[in-house]
Amino acid sequence: MSTREVSGLARVQVDFQHYLLNVASTITEQVRPGGRIPVDKRLGIYHNAYRVRLADTLRDTFEKTWIYLGDTVFEQCASAYVETHPPVHRSLRDYGAAMPDWLAAQFPDDPDIAELAQMDWQLRQAFDGADAEALSLEALAGLTAGDWETLGFCFVPTLVLCSLRFNTPAIWGALDQGGPPPTAQRLPVPAWLCVWRRGWQPHFRTLDETEFAALSDLCAGARFAEVCQTLSETRTDASTLIAHYLRTWLTDGLISGLAGVAGTDVQTRISHPR
Amino acid sequence: MKKTSPGFGLGLRPQHYADFLADPQRVDWLELISENYMVPGGKPLAMLDAIRADYPVALHGVSLSIGSTEPLDRNYLARLKQLAHRVEPLWVSDHLCWTGVAGKNSHDLLPLPYSEEALRLVVAHVRQVQDLLGERILLENVSSYLEFTDSVIPEWAFLGAVAEQADCLLLLDVNNVYVSSVNHGFDPREYLRHLPGERIQQIHLAGHSDHGEYIVDTHDHPVCDAVWALYREACIQFGEVAAMIERDDHIPPLAELIAELDQARGIAAEAALAARAVA
Repeated sequence: MSTREVSGLARVQVDFQHYLLNVASTITEQVRPGGRIPVDKRLGIYHNAYRVRLADTLRDTFEKTWIYLGDTVFEQCASAYVETHPPVHRSLRDYGAAMPDWLAAQFPDDPDIAELAQMDWQLRQAFDGADAEALSLEALAGLTAGDWETLGFCFVPTLVLCSLRFNTPAIWGALDQGGPPPTAQRLPVPAWLCVWRRGWQPHFRTLDETEFAALSDLCAGARFAEVCQTLSETRTDASTLIAHYLRTWLTDGLISGLAGVAGTDVQTRISHPR
Repeated sequence: MKKTSPGFGLGLRPQHYADFLADPQRVDWLELISENYMVPGGKPLAMLDAIRADYPVALHGVSLSIGSTEPLDRNYLARLKQLAHRVEPLWVSDHLCWTGVAGKNSHDLLPLPYSEEALRLVVAHVRQVQDLLGERILLENVSSYLEFTDSVIPEWAFLGAVAEQADCLLLLDVNNVYVSSVNHGFDPREYLRHLPGERIQQIHLAGHSDHGEYIVDTHDHPVCDAVWALYREACIQFGEVAAMIERDDHIPPLAELIAELDQARGIAAEAALAARAVA
């Protein structure tokens, strides 16, 4: 195969892709003229299909953001995003990862929009994220006092924690029910959105600063005893509170395993990085 | 050379998961879009495993980009192989096209110039994929809306040459032949006449959108009469070939697609009789 021949096919493909991406190219000269349909119209079918497919994907992934913004504004956003974000993955599942940040830049005075898009994205990622069996409450029954000193937890791989500045979960929930969303309101105190999948269903819950601190420390590999100690420095009800958290995390299906206890699989934590 | 036909199938779509799990359906096999199940976990893979227990499945990819001048994506191929290991498919197919270059992916099935250079590239890539998967793959003819000045042979000749030189099989999309025949003004029957029947392992049937001066392969309508007529020709010419209906948009209730599949069964049976009568 000569160099000249190789460059022929490569040139067609680079020029065609440039055309799709609105970069100047000579593709028109490489399309056979003649027939009922002009060359520009033939090329235009591909130009249009590329944009329609990606905009459809964004509408599907960011469904609540779409409803929140309305058809016209969302279409404008999707079109503009598609122009500047050519897909680089083999699956459309991965398309739109930068959309929340992009929306944040587009709407600097309305950061609630980007936060809602971030929630859409995280719930979609949780939908087909990695599987893990949730640990039951009974798994703690046989632990000795010594075990509790070294105990840590492994969490389901779909678990993510994102900071919240607005009443975004309430907005998402209202839109999900088909109703009008409440007005976006800045939260008076810091809060976090916790997203994970239980069974086949993505779930979410809002965490306050105390619960977030405990959960994120444990996710980062802290021992349970360390987290209890930290909590007791600021809270007089630390033991009641941490017992309540732990029960909630277990019943919600956030915890997938124990770590730091003889006979448990410490590797689980390492194999499920977040 | 090719496997015995498993009969008449449908493309598996999430809208029909519950139907397939609730009752046995009059569908012989199912085709999956490979990329939809190249996910870490969750409902898609759980549904797939449950449905796979009752139906043979074929894997049909849209991102292999076999005709790209870029090297094949090793990561994609590894994931495809992993999925194939999971579902033990009847076969693995993708399209005779390219989807992107320079690290980008258009998520569209872009046409190739049918040149000597493209032929050598596609043959080399098919061999690489088949070596990795350890089996022959099927390549499907795509619908196209333009032809390149660099094309020196007709699409059917290119398909046949790829199949012969790479020793792969073909997925004949009858609707795509029809769509391209209208858009480019060729005789779809002549296209069929030039195909190597012994390498056609599977047939796709689908609907399209008529835009007047051209038609677009949208998979959002029932199969039209002209495509049914062409399918009958294919049945007479190629004999018993696994056939299925693809519907990707405006997806109707499963019963409606099964009724459409019955139409395919009827045409194939009638064509078999007609072919016997002629013989």
